[in-house]
Amino acid sequence: MANIELVDVSLRDGNQSLWGATGLRTAQILQIAPAMDRVGFRALDYTSSTHMGVAVRNFREDPWERIRLTRQAMPNTALQFIGTGFRFISWETAHPDFMQLVYDRLVVNGIDRVVVLDPMHDIDAAVESARMLRRAGVREIIGALVYTISEVHDDAFYARLAQQMAACPDIDRVYVKDPAGLLTPERARSLLRAVRAALAGKPLELHSHCTIGLSPITYTVAADLVDVLQVACGSLSNGSSLPDAQRVVANLRELGHTVDVDDRLLGKVADYFNRLAEAESLPSGTPQEYDTSFLRHQVAGGVLSTTRRQLRELDMEPRFDAVMEEVGQVRAELGYPIMVTPFPQMVCSQALFNVIGTERYANVPDQVIRYVLGNFGRPAGPIDPDVRDRILGLPRARELAGEPPAPTPAELRKQFGSLISDEELLLRATMPADQVDAMIASGPAQRHYTPEAQQVLRLVDHLAARQDLAELTVEKPGLSITARYRKESVVDA
Amino acid sequence: MSFRRMLVANRGEIAARVLRTCRALGIETVQAVSEADVLSVPARLADHVVVIGPGPSGASYLDVDAVVNAAVASGADALHPGYGFLSENADLARACGRHGVTFVGPSVAVLEAVGDKLSARDHAVAAGLPVVPGGQAGTPADAFEVAERVGYPLLVKAVGGGGGRGMKRVDAQEDLQRNLELAMAEADAAFGDPRVYIERYVVSGRHIEVQVLGDGDQVIHLGDRDCSVQRRYQKLFEEAPAPHLDDDIRSSLRAAATALAGQLRYRGLGTVEFLFDRARREFYFLEMNARIQVEHPVTEMVTGLDLVAEQIRVAEGHPLRLTQDDISVTGHALECRVNAEDWQADFRPSPGTVTAAAFPVGDHVRVDTHIQSDAAVPPYYDSLLAKVIVHGSNRDEAMAQMAHALRRCRIEGVATTLDLHRRLVEDDEMCLGGVDTMFFTRFLTRQESLSDATVGA
Repeated sequence: MANIELVDVSLRDGNQSLWGATGLRTAQILQIAPAMDRVGFRALDYTSSTHMGVAVRNFREDPWERIRLTRQAMPNTALQFIGTGFRFISWETAHPDFMQLVYDRLVVNGIDRVVVLDPMHDIDAAVESARMLRRAGVREIIGALVYTISEVHDDAFYARLAQQMAACPDIDRVYVKDPAGLLTPERARSLLRAVRAALAGKPLELHSHCTIGLSPITYTVAADLVDVLQVACGSLSNGSSLPDAQRVVANLRELGHTVDVDDRLLGKVADYFNRLAEAESLPSGTPQEYDTSFLRHQVAGGVLSTTRRQLRELDMEPRFDAVMEEVGQVRAELGYPIMVTPFPQMVCSQALFNVIGTERYANVPDQVIRYVLGNFGRPAGPIDPDVRDRILGLPRARELAGEPPAPTPAELRKQFGSLISDEELLLRATMPADQVDAMIASGPAQRHYTPEAQQVLRLVDHLAARQDLAELTVEKPGLSITARYRKESVVDA
Repeated sequence: MSFRRMLVANRGEIAARVLRTCRALGIETVQAVSEADVLSVPARLADHVVVIGPGPSGASYLDVDAVVNAAVASGADALHPGYGFLSENADLARACGRHGVTFVGPSVAVLEAVGDKLSARDHAVAAGLPVVPGGQAGTPADAFEVAERVGYPLLVKAVGGGGGRGMKRVDAQEDLQRNLELAMAEADAAFGDPRVYIERYVVSGRHIEVQVLGDGDQVIHLGDRDCSVQRRYQKLFEEAPAPHLDDDIRSSLRAAATALAGQLRYRGLGTVEFLFDRARREFYFLEMNARIQVEHPVTEMVTGLDLVAEQIRVAEGHPLRLTQDDISVTGHALECRVNAEDWQADFRPSPGTVTAAAFPVGDHVRVDTHIQSDAAVPPYYDSLLAKVIVHGSNRDEAMAQMAHALRRCRIEGVATTLDLHRRLVEDDEMCLGGVDTMFFTRFLTRQESLSDATVGA
């Protein structure tokens, strides 16, 4: 029987898996941050470059400010950033010096745990990223073993990687990351045992999505083999997110393990996300049914909900199943890239274009072209020759092949001037200027959020925006409320 | 250590204030109440309520055994004493320690060190803080020697006396001999001890204090406050930062406060109070308060910190999460203490029931209160109803915001000092800022002559 620690992913992966990364604003995080800080979580999966971009684009909120304020509100719990070593916000490959600056600023603003994840499982790239992270001062660096099902990805494959990570002084611990929720209890037993043996004492964590309902059961088996289980709270658990923290705790204790968390507080946190989901009409994660077909496309929760949102925005949501079908096809044609950022986005975008366009591969996103050009490394399997020729024959492929190398921070300074902060420089280098301008114009983010007040606040905002109303009266037996439109200076009198 | 259940051993607005932070931190709360406060706002805000005794505070909020028993019986792992009542009581802190309940405040040793005025003064002197110059004299010759050092004006007090009895103010050297003889004769007659204490008299002084925070190892200051607007040593209006203070004085004050707290290896939230002599541009240590202050919100407004949260954090045994460089003071904050008193009838307390209450809300306004419509104002406790706090980018803006906020306050059913505050923030001298502790008497006199003039007209 073991003492199991928990890492909560609600704010980052929960939000990404269930709410397309667009669910949480700064105020909504700050409101619950002090309580989350005291539950007893080992760390929070807190942000990613995608989340930082969404803060700017969707909410006009400064993601750096958000990190700083959250750190202030939760001095005790490690805050994790997850990213691939070669890009930040933009999908383009960044210069190493640029990535070093990203890491430096993340640490200064309050991030103290970072995931090292190379989507190609290139250990040299992972070790190099870890070295840069350590130089930036990251306290805990955790290497990711991304789980997938294929002929090459056997237990020995992962054990070999784990051994290399164990040998890397800058990687402090390792986790098995199962973004698509494919890990069965049976495979967990052999895989985790093999990885654990290879880690030479470095701690091991498990992160497995609930997408087809496996992970809640897998976790009960894994508890004997890992130090940390990654979970989510309330509405941000289950569905294509991670197992529900309260359920996991109860199950672990039932099996005789100990979990040192404040149960009452854990309930409060779950309750907060439930109330928030209701107030904002956001979907709650529900326990999932097993779905065999899923093993074919293997798309992670976040990408699923993003794709669904994109289709909805195009008014084409009924085509969702067709796109998923196409995802399996595209993935095969592109040589089975492992379905972890940025590849699911890449595969899904291509599938989307293939479904909504007139002809397959008539429209190819830049990142697919870069992938085929080999900019991200060598694909796990061979790319379908016809698809490869078709893509490399595009005029855009020739342009991208001749692309200049990514700019260094010094070159970006020349472009954007010396008066802005490093944080702003990193946003301006990776996002459209008008979005960054709008964010700055919006000023500091709100600090407080009460789910139950949202309806009333929306009503008041709506009424305040109406120019044609001079007076509004609500009457019912025993109650009469009248609001009148007046200039501020008059109200005072 | 992480507290899971907190007993709030206080009442009124500060109980509500502590509950608010506990709720934000997710700490379960138990509110200790007297029978008179069973229906109070704090009792309704808390997760649990324990009745600790009848209304009079001696049998409830001041009863160490009742308070500790409530903590133990309710399974609280920590106790927050607020201010006043038992907040600086070493016996309570000791009893908490015996029962495994963490007292949210400084150690017993520190409470004892600063709780006694003489010992506090000794610590201050040892830490290099200036105190009001003075000394004891058994003979006229001694007295002249002390007076030479102290300067004029000065006060001659009986060593055996107290409460201002037998005190003489001496403005010039030629008056010393006569007053000294008189004072020593009076002292001998009244107390059987002719010795006198001679002390510098500050004609015009300001009450300026510095907020400190320590973890028992490191100490930082969170800026200063001015609390010179007082009536009979009761503060009525406070602000942060202290206005019209030269930079060198301000930094010396802050350095002095952290020196004392450092010397005490202070853990918790504390306030070092000083008297600032306007004419001499010097300051003297008065006392140290080892608890959260009534006026802490003005510091919170200008620093952006939650002082109760910081206090809880160090009580949990965490090191300070902030360094001095992390602290910056932005803008200017003001606080008006609205009391249930009839200020036009010599500030007579006005207990009763609040029939209607409404307070302003807004980005730069904060009201700390336990009052809402139908709230009881029991006769047993101090009369504080609400603290109206504003934050502006500068003092003028804050004063205008305060005037605006006060106009939006409504408390009916009991007499309040709201109208007094409305007049206060319109007063020219007040608007100018940097008033001394005698200001409020002058202000009241002006108000009286004003209302006399109105009656006459």
